Amino acid sequence: MGKAKRKHPDLEEILQRPWCYYCERDFDDLKILINHQKAKHFKCERCGRRLNTAGGLSVHMTQVHKETLTIIENALPNRSGLDVEIFGMEGIPEDVVQSHNQRVVTQFAQAEAERRAATGNPGPGAAGGGQNKKPKFESPADLKKRLAQHKAKKAAEEAAGISSGGNTPGGMGKDGQSPGMGHSPGGYVSDPATLRIQLKLSVAEKAGSPSYPPQQMPFGGPPNNSSYSSYPQPYGQQPPPFQQQQSPFSPQQQAFSPPGPPQFQNNPAVAPPQQFQPPGGQGFPPQYQNGTPQFQNGPPPFQGGPPQFQNGPSQFQNGPPQFQNGPLPQFQNGQPPFQNGPPPFGAGSPPPFQQNQFQPPPTHTPPQQNGMPPRPGSLPPAPGLPQRPSFGAPPVNAFQMQQMHQGQLSGPPNQSDHSYHSQQQATQNGSVQMGGTADSKVPVPSPLLEPPTVLSANASSLDDLVSGAAKDADQAANGTEKRPEVSRIEEPAEEKKGKKEKDKNMKLVYSDNDISPEEKMAKMPRYAFTPSG
Amino acid sequence: MTTTQYELVNPPTDAISAIQYAPTSLRLLVASWDKHVYLYDTSQASGKLLDKYEHRGPVLHVCFGENDEEAYTAGLDWDVRRINLSTGAQTVLSTHTNGVKSVLYSRQQNILISASWDGTLHIHHLSSPTKPHVTISLPNKPFSLSLTPSKLVVAMASRALHIYSLSDLASDSASQGIEPWQRRESSLKFMTRAVACMPNDAGYASSSIEGRVAVEWFDPSTTSQSRKYAFKCHRQPSPEGIDVVYPVNALAFHPVHGTFASGGGDGFVALWDGVAKRRIRQYQRYAASVSALSFSGDGKYLAVAVSPGFEDGKEGVGEGMVAVFVRELGQGEAKGKGAK
Repeated sequence: MGKAKRKHPDLEEILQRPWCYYCERDFDDLKILINHQKAKHFKCERCGRRLNTAGGLSVHMTQVHKETLTIIENALPNRSGLDVEIFGMEGIPEDVVQSHNQRVVTQFAQAEAERRAATGNPGPGAAGGGQNKKPKFESPADLKKRLAQHKAKKAAEEAAGISSGGNTPGGMGKDGQSPGMGHSPGGYVSDPATLRIQLKLSVAEKAGSPSYPPQQMPFGGPPNNSSYSSYPQPYGQQPPPFQQQQSPFSPQQQAFSPPGPPQFQNNPAVAPPQQFQPPGGQGFPPQYQNGTPQFQNGPPPFQGGPPQFQNGPSQFQNGPPQFQNGPLPQFQNGQPPFQNGPPPFGAGSPPPFQQNQFQPPPTHTPPQQNGMPPRPGSLPPAPGLPQRPSFGAPPVNAFQMQQMHQGQLSGPPNQSDHSYHSQQQATQNGSVQMGGTADSKVPVPSPLLEPPTVLSANASSLDDLVSGAAKDADQAANGTEKRPEVSRIEEPAEEKKGKKEKDKNMKLVYSDNDISPEEKMAKMPRYAFTPSG
Repeated sequence: MTTTQYELVNPPTDAISAIQYAPTSLRLLVASWDKHVYLYDTSQASGKLLDKYEHRGPVLHVCFGENDEEAYTAGLDWDVRRINLSTGAQTVLSTHTNGVKSVLYSRQQNILISASWDGTLHIHHLSSPTKPHVTISLPNKPFSLSLTPSKLVVAMASRALHIYSLSDLASDSASQGIEPWQRRESSLKFMTRAVACMPNDAGYASSSIEGRVAVEWFDPSTTSQSRKYAFKCHRQPSPEGIDVVYPVNALAFHPVHGTFASGGGDGFVALWDGVAKRRIRQYQRYAASVSALSFSGDGKYLAVAVSPGFEDGKEGVGEGMVAVFVRELGQGEAKGKGAK
């Protein structure tokens, strides 16, 4: 949370965060929550063994240490009872869930109110965020400079009697530079957000404005999503690299990625993406992640993007005050920067796209050489490759989405990504090729290649994880002390598993399958027996 | 409820091949590669060595006979012997043409069955001592025998497994060509190491050198056969991510609860509930490979024979490494929890 990127998450996201029944702490990840519970609440104080549930701990205590467990450690006073069986987020009584949600909502509201008060920036969501964090980027030198400027301005104001409006631009100008150095995402994100808000305002206020609709057209945004006007969407495509930080975006993107391709098609300027579409739906999010580092390391053209863009926003932010003063003309003022914005995107975004385009080449050599057109064609004909559907509707909730964008690998994207790449290329040194294509990809492929073998055996989704662990918990509660292997006892006769077994590395201590150890021993001289008669 | 265990004093000086509790008392017979059979009284802590009986060669198996004063042994000297435990008198019942791996006494039929690496079973009709033993030839070397009141299970090399009806074996007419009641192939893919029958006569468990135990039922109906299963055990993941797989040397069913214990080359003894398919317990690791297990007749004690290097033929027996532990089981300690 301390990081700038997660400055103020969505209320929904907060509500979706897994939290611990015993101490009301919330966590990024269910796994972490479960680990937390095992470490904090279900740990045996005698032997340090970490059990899965309170019941398991209780049984453990009675069986192993002959003690009775009365309270859960480290729990809130009213939550330390043993009566509820908690595992991760499971088993929490409904009323407790309600009150927790209530609490979160109030806290969120309060935090937001404070934020607004602090920033003096009305408006929903992240409006104030950018200004809030900007000061953080200022070096002492900058600060001093600004102070000097400020003083100068004040002096000037006093002389001229103007309002303090000039202050902001001054700050902005500096920020515009510092983000460019590498923090650009942070500072940057807020800008689209502001943009969006302003756009929303503008849309609402001047729905009838003649100048506006034409603008909308080129971006081709389907107007189905009223809250996100078509403007944010084009932005959405570009911002994803930055988006990790920007929570409000993730839901948007979810809804967005499927529709994405059509937009591209509509947009003549961005023709190539058409071929890119197929991957767009599936491989998109992960690649964006990867895109981020690239962005910073940066191919020159791409780096070129941000500065331009920064110009845009800064102008834009100058805009808002004007906006309120007089909508129409200012909006047109605002436009130029905005239009500047997209071009940089156009310039900037290709790199990531091209990466995507390049990627497939290694995978299917023939289509690649033909260039883009074959690709879309190559997908459908391939029979027995039902990946498409799974891509179309990635079973990813907002939380998982957020995870993905935070760079944590989660099941679904891997899966789809993998099936996409390596199923088609039939395992042939896919990792190498992929690695060769894009540097930033390197870390991704290796995890990608693993799933095929592991997937079936291991829990691939959070749900599996939960249910599997719950089963363990049940068994533990059942009083059996067990190591993981024990759960395997329920496997059917081994014939079925033969294949898997062979793949596994194992070393037989006694590997002679024909002669028993006793026979071997009997052959040793010291045991030799020669019948007397 | 912590279980107490003690180590028997005066343990054998070489690897232990078999241990056997007396059916009614707390006497324990231990057969060893040091050519002796040891008789202990385990009714007192740390046990007491009552006697030991020398053989001509290493002893591979031992069992009690009709009463606690009578024992039968099988060994590398090819002989099947009866030992009067009080007098120490030994009688050779029959002689195989190779080492004799195991010997079992069936109280119900009053017959003695011995199995030798020469690929034969010898059936001795103890009620008529004058009658010569009956020889049954097996397709493969037998590795392990186990009895129920009505059946004999013979686990052999090449994963073969025969189930004989004891009444067939005991019948007088069975002088030539006794056919097994069932012929089976082990459901484990590796060499069968041990086999043990359920006390309720319903089925048996078998183990292999590849850290695995299978539980199967006698009933040939498909419903019963579909219940069979196998599970992995006695394995240790090594730091390199390789599973080190130990042979499961010993299996023993609890006479009362019907659960069973397995002992592996890794030195672990685990208690399993074969019906609920759960592990009940695993005891602390012993210093060396577990070579044999035996529950006492009343099920209150579990004797664990520990001897090193048993499973890989590298007989580097260190002094003090060979030991017999007697573990007193708490109330219901070996009792299954029941299927969920």
